[in-house]
Amino acid sequence: MESTQIVDPTAPRQSQAQQARKTLDSLQGKVVGFIDDAKPNFNHLVDDLAELLIGKYGVSEVIKRRKRVSSYAAPEAVIAELSEKCDLVITGSGD
Amino acid sequence: MAKRGPVAIEICSTAFTTLGHAQAKSLGYADLPIAVIPHPFGSRSRDEVSQLAATCIADIAQLACEPVSGTSRAAASAPEPPQRAALIEVPGDLDELYQLFRERRWTDGFPVVPPTAERVERMLRHTSRSPTELVAAIPPAFGMATVERIAVNAVMAGCDPEYLPLLIATVEAAMAPEFNLQGIQATTNPCTPWLIINGPIVKQLNINSGINCLGQGSWANATIGRALRLIMQNIGGALPGDMDRATQGFPGKFSMCCAENDAANPWQPLHVERGYSAEQSTVTVVCAAGTLNMNSHTKNADDLIYAFADTLAHATSNDYWTGGEPWIVLPPEHAEVLANAGLSKAEVKRRLWEESKMKASRMAPRDFMRTQDARRTELGVISPDSMLPISSTPELIGLVVAGGPGTHSVYVPTYGNTRSATRVVASETIRGNK
Repeated sequence: MESTQIVDPTAPRQSQAQQARKTLDSLQGKVVGFIDDAKPNFNHLVDDLAELLIGKYGVSEVIKRRKRVSSYAAPEAVIAELSEKCDLVITGSGD
Repeated sequence: MAKRGPVAIEICSTAFTTLGHAQAKSLGYADLPIAVIPHPFGSRSRDEVSQLAATCIADIAQLACEPVSGTSRAAASAPEPPQRAALIEVPGDLDELYQLFRERRWTDGFPVVPPTAERVERMLRHTSRSPTELVAAIPPAFGMATVERIAVNAVMAGCDPEYLPLLIATVEAAMAPEFNLQGIQATTNPCTPWLIINGPIVKQLNINSGINCLGQGSWANATIGRALRLIMQNIGGALPGDMDRATQGFPGKFSMCCAENDAANPWQPLHVERGYSAEQSTVTVVCAAGTLNMNSHTKNADDLIYAFADTLAHATSNDYWTGGEPWIVLPPEHAEVLANAGLSKAEVKRRLWEESKMKASRMAPRDFMRTQDARRTELGVISPDSMLPISSTPELIGLVVAGGPGTHSVYVPTYGNTRSATRVVASETIRGNK
């Protein structure tokens, strides 16, 4: 069978230096932040998880911040605040 | 967040986990821990959410504290510059080649023009920009759209080589931060970039601004819009059911492109309204979420505006819950009715904005709550009796004149979390032989 050539229409992903994953030794005494993605029910999930993190895992403080709408990134000020204050930040994506 | 100080964990429902992993990798965090919960999530009852939280918390605790195995993936060297696209060996038989395109999902569902090196080079002669110049990294996969790869997809879409400068400008416009291509590509909403072309290039490329300009049959309209979709899919990685989560989508996702009808426009062209000179050629991208026929035979401007405003106001509108940027395409006849009444475009927008305000209680309670949240900064406390404007200002209502004879305006609602963007099309001389 005769073959031919075409130019690949796809593209490699923009290459970014891959970051090493970080973890904690434990949740005891840690500060946890939430970025609520403003999707339906996520605020309730945040409330429930916050209660469990404090009651069951000994987290010392939970900071909750909610996006105005889900499809835009959180404001830089929120990211900066949580980066500074929190040991762990939990976000939502999609639904 | 993952690149800063704290440990980061993402929560995704099962339907969005693929998107979550792909994006994390594209942004340099392939190992981002993701806690998965069952889909759907948004429609669950409060008790069900609590049950999911009780299950999810164990995953979160584990992901936050589990030791990282394997060799460290510390920061690598600087990213490689973009390369020329690879040549791929494929069957010479056309039927077999089309089967390959289908299997690899490189098409929009229709057959494409095989992008041979010769066709791609012919198209590249219509720009002075280097083939490896990076125009944009297209979300959600952040694939690198070089000039060459834009040309490859333009060939596949059936574009004439002369369209390339316009297509490059289109990609640039679609990547404007305010357009929010990331959100548009991955949303469950039916969305597509609608391209509105202005300036001398309309005649040069024979882009239809008249009869059936939003329909099929005009080569430039069909293939330019299609090329952008192929770029969004093949380079941006948004495949339906994969990272493109559109619940149904709509036919505009194949292609939605037209020119403004200069000859029939009683006001300034769109690009002049936006600060460009009439002699410049521009492309404006609008995130259209469908079209609605507004068929009115009235010759009275007040009645026409009233009818439009009444049509715009609907309880399930993205524009109302988030404060959007709705658009109307006026045919020559409706534009004439409004202009003959002495109304400027700005006055039409102001009247539409006032008369289309919608009582918040028309929304379903859940949608009303989302609106309260999303528009609190803009509108303050929103009660059921609040009259919601469709956009935060009258100026954000878009008006263009396009179409042929007939009494049909087109309401184009948008995705809401998006703003249109306009870019100039570079004037290019053709290099080498045509």
